[in-house]
Amino acid sequence: MAAEAAYTVASDSETTGEEKSSPSSAEVAIGIDIGTSQCSVAVWNGSEVELLRNTRNQKLLRSYVTFKDETPAGGVSNQLAHEYEMLSGAAIFNMKRLIGRVDTDPVVHSSKSLPFLVQTLDIGVRPFIAALVNNMWRSTTPEEVLAIFLIELRAMAEIRLKRPVRKVVLTIPVSFSRFQLTRIDRACAMAGLHVLRLMPEPTAVALLYAQQQKQQAEHENTGSESEKVALIFNMGAGYCDAAVTATAGGVSQIKSVAGSTLGGEDILQNIMHYLLPDMDNVFSSHGVEEIKKMGLLRVAAQDAVHRLSTQASVEINVDLGNDLKISKILSREEFEAVNHKVFEKCESLIKQCLHDAKVEIEDINDVILVGGCSYIPKIKNLVMTICKRGESYAGMNPLEAAVRGAALEGAVASGINDPFGNLDLLTIQATPLSIGIRADGNSFVPIIQRNTTMPSRREIIFTTVHDDQAEALIIVYEGDETIVEKNHLLGYFKIAGIPPAPKGIPEINVCMDIDASNVLRVFAGIMMPGKHHPPAPFMEVRMPTVDDGHGWCAEALHKAYGSSLDLVTVQKKVQQ
Amino acid sequence: MISSSASSRLVFQSPQQFSGDWFVPPATNVRIRQEKPSVISAAFASAAAERETTTTAYTFTPKLATSFYEVLGIPMGATSDEIKSAYRRLARVCHPDVAAIDRKSSSADEFMRIHAAYSTLSDPDKRAEYDRRFLRRYRSVGLCSNPRFSGYTGRNWETDQCW
Repeated sequence: MAAEAAYTVASDSETTGEEKSSPSSAEVAIGIDIGTSQCSVAVWNGSEVELLRNTRNQKLLRSYVTFKDETPAGGVSNQLAHEYEMLSGAAIFNMKRLIGRVDTDPVVHSSKSLPFLVQTLDIGVRPFIAALVNNMWRSTTPEEVLAIFLIELRAMAEIRLKRPVRKVVLTIPVSFSRFQLTRIDRACAMAGLHVLRLMPEPTAVALLYAQQQKQQAEHENTGSESEKVALIFNMGAGYCDAAVTATAGGVSQIKSVAGSTLGGEDILQNIMHYLLPDMDNVFSSHGVEEIKKMGLLRVAAQDAVHRLSTQASVEINVDLGNDLKISKILSREEFEAVNHKVFEKCESLIKQCLHDAKVEIEDINDVILVGGCSYIPKIKNLVMTICKRGESYAGMNPLEAAVRGAALEGAVASGINDPFGNLDLLTIQATPLSIGIRADGNSFVPIIQRNTTMPSRREIIFTTVHDDQAEALIIVYEGDETIVEKNHLLGYFKIAGIPPAPKGIPEINVCMDIDASNVLRVFAGIMMPGKHHPPAPFMEVRMPTVDDGHGWCAEALHKAYGSSLDLVTVQKKVQQ
Repeated sequence: MISSSASSRLVFQSPQQFSGDWFVPPATNVRIRQEKPSVISAAFASAAAERETTTTAYTFTPKLATSFYEVLGIPMGATSDEIKSAYRRLARVCHPDVAAIDRKSSSADEFMRIHAAYSTLSDPDKRAEYDRRFLRRYRSVGLCSNPRFSGYTGRNWETDQCW
């Protein structure tokens, strides 16, 4: 759906010819970087990428929405400081961490220390999220909060650009599941925005890098195609991602991506727990007083973390009331020790990404560090140590790189031409997560492996496990865990009409297709050996099909059907 | 051939074509794509090998009987830089993000074919394996009748002989 619309735009601009001075005829999609903590908007203005500012002249906007009476207000226009609103329980933030997650997710559990209500019942449905308004809990959802915020961003962009804004390219974390992407899509639809692309953050950075390298090569006239390989490490408040890109002539080829739900928020929570080890107990009742305390502790810890990027130690003094006072000097060494697990995970993520890209460290031309956490000395240090490098790439603002890349993609996907060739760009994306089905007992059998170049189409042949098995269940998952339930469920459907045959004879062909705009389709069909006609029509299913509360679907299916509709890969049969 | 789908996208057509179209060339393709030989790639390989001996589906469609070198438009002796730049040049034209509007539906298939060729030829081990296994059989299929091929390679003793 997004794909066709994008292509229509491209044709519009082709028919309008070279007239670049008529941006209204082909609407340039804006780029939006929705951060866990901050958001920004950028657009191709006809000659370069420009960040849009709000009425207070800010280009980095706090990602939060405050619920007051009937009218929620977001961080784009709101005059009050985020820090104080946090104390009242009326401000909802960190929605990027919560969106599309069920209440059994550890990330949702760790969000319970936020100064608003996140309640989990551990049954595989969406968590209960609420803001405190006039001493009552007003429930909301991450999609609603995001949509309110996007409406404000859109209004801001429309004022600045003096035209309606409908088309957007949004950046997303690498580790987002396809289900989470549908929630982002829904939030955009609620805000009246049409998503041209959801672009993994480091690949947006890679596109900006590709443009910079192309421009540099043209300036220096160094001939053409010398390939540059870059490692991109992006760590914000909610997520961290890595990517390896090989770039030449404006084409950015993503060799590998890797992502994790790991960010400044984890560092912050570690520090809060360090300052107040009994925190979870103290705050468990979530009353007005507790929320205020949580907010105070949060503001103090956040401030300390920020200052430790430039100072060797910081003094923390925070009065939480009721004789609960915290006075402490926190050194950078302590900070690093408290967060050593976070840093270890960053290291393993980068190593995995380099391994998947099959590049040697010596082959890397540039190391690009972006995101708010790239200011933390330890993060800088560990990335540079892995890459055996002294200096990181200097050509980008770490807080603006992703949104600038998204704006470039927005212009390219809108079919805008630049007479100087500054938009002759292309990103060849790779799938961040493997996609497969449940088969061979309770195993996850990937059909498209992670880091496969898109568009892509792969198939595997399965067969039945019972004699005269007439039906088979295709349960589609996304992820890289061998135990099937640990992956993200995307949907399921049934293949019926398998002709009576001993087990292992019918061939069930399952094919997965990802197009260039990342739409996933699953095809499944039956083939009988020696027959040219399939006994039943093939099925084509667009994924994901699951909705909220899907956390328990797999379990329910298992309860209802056991192994009666199972499949095994054909290769297993050959081996036995 | 039976075609169950009217769309230009390669949906399930007859089983042979479905697999055959993708497995070009059947015997080597699987190893090419997956770095770590997994359970699945083995299944691919064995299934593909079987099909090769029984049906040789790929020969039904002449356009598929081209070498990876022809797909990328490069001579057999091309350097790795030449392979990379040929891949990028073709991607700039064939990738669905940039392909002209009337070719959107076919460009995905085209790009996938280009990428399959690139991913084999850009890896020295896979390329050597490909040269050894595929081209030997490929020649015997009657490549000499294709004059385009000799155009790419200045001195190729086989084609020279044919001429």
